[in-house]
Amino acid sequence: MWRFAPAGDRALLVTIGIAIDPALLGQVLALDRSLRERPPRGILGTAPAYASLLCRFDPTVTDAAQLEADLRPLEGNLDAAIPTGPVVDVPTRYDGPDLGEVAGATGLTPEGVIEAHAGREYLVYCIGFAPGFTYCGRLADELVVPRRSSPRLRVPAGSVAIAAHQTGIYAVASPGGWNLIGHTNLSLFDAGATPPVRFKPGDRIRFVPDR
Amino acid sequence: MIEVVDPGRYTTIQDRGRPGFERFGIPPGGVADWFAAAVANRLVGNAADASLIECTATGPSLRFERDATIAITGGDCPEAGLPGWRTEQVDAGSIVRFGPLTSGLRSYIAIRGGIDVPVVLGSRSLCAAGAFGGGFGRPLQAGDRLGVGGLLESPVLEETWPGSHRLPTRGPWEIHVIAGPHRDAFEPSALHRLTATACRVTPALDRVGVRLDTPGLHLDAAEVLTTPVTAGAIQVTPSGGLIALLADHPTTGGYPVIATVTTADLPLLAQARPGDTVRFREATLAEASRAHRRLIGWLDLDA
Repeated sequence: MWRFAPAGDRALLVTIGIAIDPALLGQVLALDRSLRERPPRGILGTAPAYASLLCRFDPTVTDAAQLEADLRPLEGNLDAAIPTGPVVDVPTRYDGPDLGEVAGATGLTPEGVIEAHAGREYLVYCIGFAPGFTYCGRLADELVVPRRSSPRLRVPAGSVAIAAHQTGIYAVASPGGWNLIGHTNLSLFDAGATPPVRFKPGDRIRFVPDR
Repeated sequence: MIEVVDPGRYTTIQDRGRPGFERFGIPPGGVADWFAAAVANRLVGNAADASLIECTATGPSLRFERDATIAITGGDCPEAGLPGWRTEQVDAGSIVRFGPLTSGLRSYIAIRGGIDVPVVLGSRSLCAAGAFGGGFGRPLQAGDRLGVGGLLESPVLEETWPGSHRLPTRGPWEIHVIAGPHRDAFEPSALHRLTATACRVTPALDRVGVRLDTPGLHLDAAEVLTTPVTAGAIQVTPSGGLIALLADHPTTGGYPVIATVTTADLPLLAQARPGDTVRFREATLAEASRAHRRLIGWLDLDA
């Protein structure tokens, strides 16, 4: 059951679910598509994440209750299939400063970490946090480690990182608390490009060890 | 042109920001105190989307190569030698030293015509996280030169902006919030306990957000699945502290948001200084909407 909650006086947060799950992402993207193609009155924009969608609105035209009434009938009535595209290779040098620590924490060798990380396809769940940051899942259970207890003030652009059941790519240099296991030279963010980011939710990627 | 002689503490070019790019991880950005900035543009007759200069704690020193019509709003900067909240003429060749702010945290310097820097992704605002916009992709530095644009809309206002139509620039602050959106991540009395607590602004603040301590109160927060967040969102961190987000906030967050500052009171959050006391007050959506409409009405003022 979708849940609706005001996020301040100019936005409504639609929570589709509370798990990292392709079926929930499918619903988020379907709702996002529907609202962009047939925007209800007063809606200014949307922003998707794993299993939720933020809808910004013009409070002089509509309100949270009206928008909720506009959206409720869509539940269960959208095609929630994620459009399939080609799997994109992300060439990755597995030389991150936390590779050894992750190996220690998981009981794997560094080679084992690389094999487990590169050995599967990932779904892009969200572009968020910082410009172009690409959240992907799900990570193999054997690679699950918590965020670092103290975040780094500056993580270099292109860092490939893991935390809990997620793996991600820092598109620009930013602070960050994830475990850095590698690095890609693939450019993921360019303010002058349209769109400015390489990936979008629903894309499929694979990390390819670059030795 | 206007030359930056000294940039001050943290001085940037801002306009109303770039909402709509959150899906690319790009913060909405734009002026932190939307009301003071709107008054500054209004005073000099600029279009509402004209870009201006936002300064923080200590203002810049600027050399004006040509005569200019400017207005200063937000926090007071008495060393500038120009009264705030009214239009002033600056002569060609003069240097204005804005100096330290004696109230509030941010001041706005609007120049008739707006600051002419390229629009990137829909806005002239600096996006510090992405190192683009704002003319230089970074805060202003000594030696930067700024052009003046032609974003005019109306004649200058000749009167001083009335004190009755300004927001406070000094604490203690009373800041209204709407509950949620993650109210369910907390026990039922959590928001009530928060609004009963005198929170304290810590020195850890910037355009991304403001960290606040909650003396005598520890809120237990369950981590939530990463969701989109908005300016004004009050996140509760695992240590029990608060982060109230401002314009340059990350587009998504995994800390639960107990409440969200109303649009009308976001300017107060943007002006709070380290050490200030903040009391949050729960408001209904109807109250928030009335407060917002009141400020919009002030901006329509025919002074």
